[in-house]
Amino acid sequence: MFNETLKAALAAVQKPGRYTGGEPGCVYKDKTQLDLRFAFCFPDTYEVGMSFLGMKILYEELNKNPRWWCERAFMPWVDMKEEMEKRNIPLYCLESKDPLTDFDIVGFTLQYELSYTNILAMLDMAGIPLRAADRGEDMPLIVAGGPCVCNAEPLADFFDMMMLGEGEEQLPAVCELTVKAKKEGWSKKKLLRAMADIPGCYVPSLYQVNYFEDGRVKEILPLDGVPAVVTKAIIKDMNTQPIPTNFIVPMVGAVHDRGQIEVLRGCVRGCRFCQAGFLYRPMRERNADMLNKGAQDLCGSTGYDEVSLTSLSTSDHSQLETLLDEMLEWTPEQHVNIALPSLRIDNFSESLIEKTTKVRKSGLTFAPEAGTQRLRDVINKNITWEEIEKSCRIAFEAGYTGVKLYFMMGLPTETMEDIEGIAETAQKIVDLYYQNPNKPKGRGVQVTISVSCFVPKPHTPFQFCPQDTKEMLEAKQKHLVSSVKSKKITVRYHDSKTSFLEAVFAKGDRRLGAVLEEAYRRGCYFDGWDDQFKYDTWLEVFRDLGVDMEFYANRFIPTDEVTPWEHLHYGVTKRYLISEYENALKAQTTPPCNRHCAGCGANKLLGGACFEYNTSMVH
Amino acid sequence: MNTIRAWFTKTGEASYISHLDLQRVMGRAMRRAKLPVWYSKGFNPHIYMTFALPLPLGQESLVESVDFRSEEENLDFEAMAKALSEALPRGIDVKKMYLADTDAAKIASAKYQVRVPGDWTKAIEQYNALSEAIVEKKTKRGTKPLNLKEQIPSVESWLRDGQTCFTLTLPAGSSGLNLNPTLLLQYLQEQYGLPVSTAEILRVAIYTEDGNKFLGE
Repeated sequence: MFNETLKAALAAVQKPGRYTGGEPGCVYKDKTQLDLRFAFCFPDTYEVGMSFLGMKILYEELNKNPRWWCERAFMPWVDMKEEMEKRNIPLYCLESKDPLTDFDIVGFTLQYELSYTNILAMLDMAGIPLRAADRGEDMPLIVAGGPCVCNAEPLADFFDMMMLGEGEEQLPAVCELTVKAKKEGWSKKKLLRAMADIPGCYVPSLYQVNYFEDGRVKEILPLDGVPAVVTKAIIKDMNTQPIPTNFIVPMVGAVHDRGQIEVLRGCVRGCRFCQAGFLYRPMRERNADMLNKGAQDLCGSTGYDEVSLTSLSTSDHSQLETLLDEMLEWTPEQHVNIALPSLRIDNFSESLIEKTTKVRKSGLTFAPEAGTQRLRDVINKNITWEEIEKSCRIAFEAGYTGVKLYFMMGLPTETMEDIEGIAETAQKIVDLYYQNPNKPKGRGVQVTISVSCFVPKPHTPFQFCPQDTKEMLEAKQKHLVSSVKSKKITVRYHDSKTSFLEAVFAKGDRRLGAVLEEAYRRGCYFDGWDDQFKYDTWLEVFRDLGVDMEFYANRFIPTDEVTPWEHLHYGVTKRYLISEYENALKAQTTPPCNRHCAGCGANKLLGGACFEYNTSMVH
Repeated sequence: MNTIRAWFTKTGEASYISHLDLQRVMGRAMRRAKLPVWYSKGFNPHIYMTFALPLPLGQESLVESVDFRSEEENLDFEAMAKALSEALPRGIDVKKMYLADTDAAKIASAKYQVRVPGDWTKAIEQYNALSEAIVEKKTKRGTKPLNLKEQIPSVESWLRDGQTCFTLTLPAGSSGLNLNPTLLLQYLQEQYGLPVSTAEILRVAIYTEDGNKFLGE
């Protein structure tokens, strides 16, 4: 379909290379030799989607099968969407340029609540009816994966099936079953019922949600004999999973345009605000030799000159120094830079900084998350001012002149004193810089504090907590700005409106489906992009449909209430979430799980203990 | 140290790779192909690369070139060209690799084949009959008027498979006037409604001041 019509559209838009495919590493197959066609859809721009490691893993995994073809589709930017609609070009996959309706399975990844309207836009652009109930047998199966599946109840009406957990084994199982159903002529209904038996596969239409009059969920009933609780799929041993090394290398710059090696999955830290930390438990590492070889192969096959050691907390890898030593044997000669994007402030060492700066020096970012020790204890971010001080001193002595610090505001139990603590922390770091006798002459320090608004998320101990209201957050932002006295400190903060909407959908239920659809009809999409976000339209839609936003975002959920995500299980028990919530209120910390098992329940997913505590290396 | 020139094409999907992106694509392809390229010294070492005549986004070309350096002698250019071709996205094919002979600063003109869907031969005849065709040409210091007829007095066009075809040889290069074929097409669109957005432009040869081919069959 790379025809005149498409070319005319491409001639009229910004960065047309986002819509052409053809990048090195792109997979092409003969359409006549296939059992299954899978459209991997990322509901945001090409640049964002091409940074996403999950797509590279699954693209490589599915395309391994010579009779399956996995292709990619992204949300076209506003100008391209307009051109496509004007010229009747349906949304197509980049490889074959065939419309999504030609595929057997159309799979979306749910990374962010504010991309939900883009999913509707993509279905609509492809001419696919939005609601599952309105789609006939001729329409592709519309499925979803990714972290937001942990409560994608607002999307329940639009998807045929959603996948909880890790997709490396689960997605091929789904594809195999679909091929079988095709060959044997099963109805969609029969196929979906059978899919519900694959680990982690959740068919929303097979669960009936009943509500109390006041809007709370009363019960969630499994239908047709499906499991009452869906438990996420998991890869028990990361060393059994080959490291993807045949990345598609984007030609239009992606946000993270570099090689990525996933060193570990999960996180031992248990920060109470962090949804990923609870969804991906338990922590599982890959061994250093495998990672080193993977990194080398990846750079060789892609030509990347930067490889990032990716995970939720890379410095928690027990063999990190060994891995870096192995990598440093070949990276300088091949002009490859090693990036460590998620360092923790408390085990940041001189040798680590030296190793990562051998080839090129990149920026330094730390995330203390809260400004006072009390609040850091509440959120279980187990770091102290002494650790922050030590890390910054090491960085300044190594020649860094700038540090970026991430904080959140609106955390449970937070007071204005905690907000002042953010400004004080930044000021102390500025002072620290000037105490360094070896600081570069004539160069000042730049401390950037980036403050986001806390969004309570399902499956975390803070799922019960109300979000601060927009007014409270704005007052705190004002107070922070007025507490900062130095010109060396730059304050960046997020718009509280987007965080409010994010909270509504994060903890939403199925009744929000109508809101999503109506908002999309009234022109809302790309809500995660400040220049496209139409807050007033959203408010009107909620008002017109009589749905109360505060009910979802700003209401305390009693610990014994049935949540909309009660039937979706990620390994951590609700009892544990409640006990962690209670510990938070008492500002009591819980140690990382490689040091001491706190009994969250996720070890059951592995069928044994997560760590050998007698041999486990602890930093 | 040798300067090596790779002559390559840029067609199909690859015509949507911008010049800035092409630099990155080419660098990575050289690394993938393991070419013995020379890196600049200093704090941020990078592959030293120069492209002869950047191609506007969306236009196709059979005559693109990139120069790079190598410290190694006795290179197997044929094998290198093949390896680089394989490492590049489809639409970019390395036709030849050789020691850079002609200085790219000597480039003076380029030849283009243009195809536009529909019969526009009458419009082009009308253009040929004009005494003056003023367009606004963008320069580094704003726009300035330019009489197209001075550069393109007349265009010979013909119909093939429902498309209007013609060739243009236009001034090009780093010094002096540089004319993009879309200037003429935009003029034809404004005056006669010729659809610029569906026009296909293919660069087929590049010439030096003395009329010799810098690149081209």
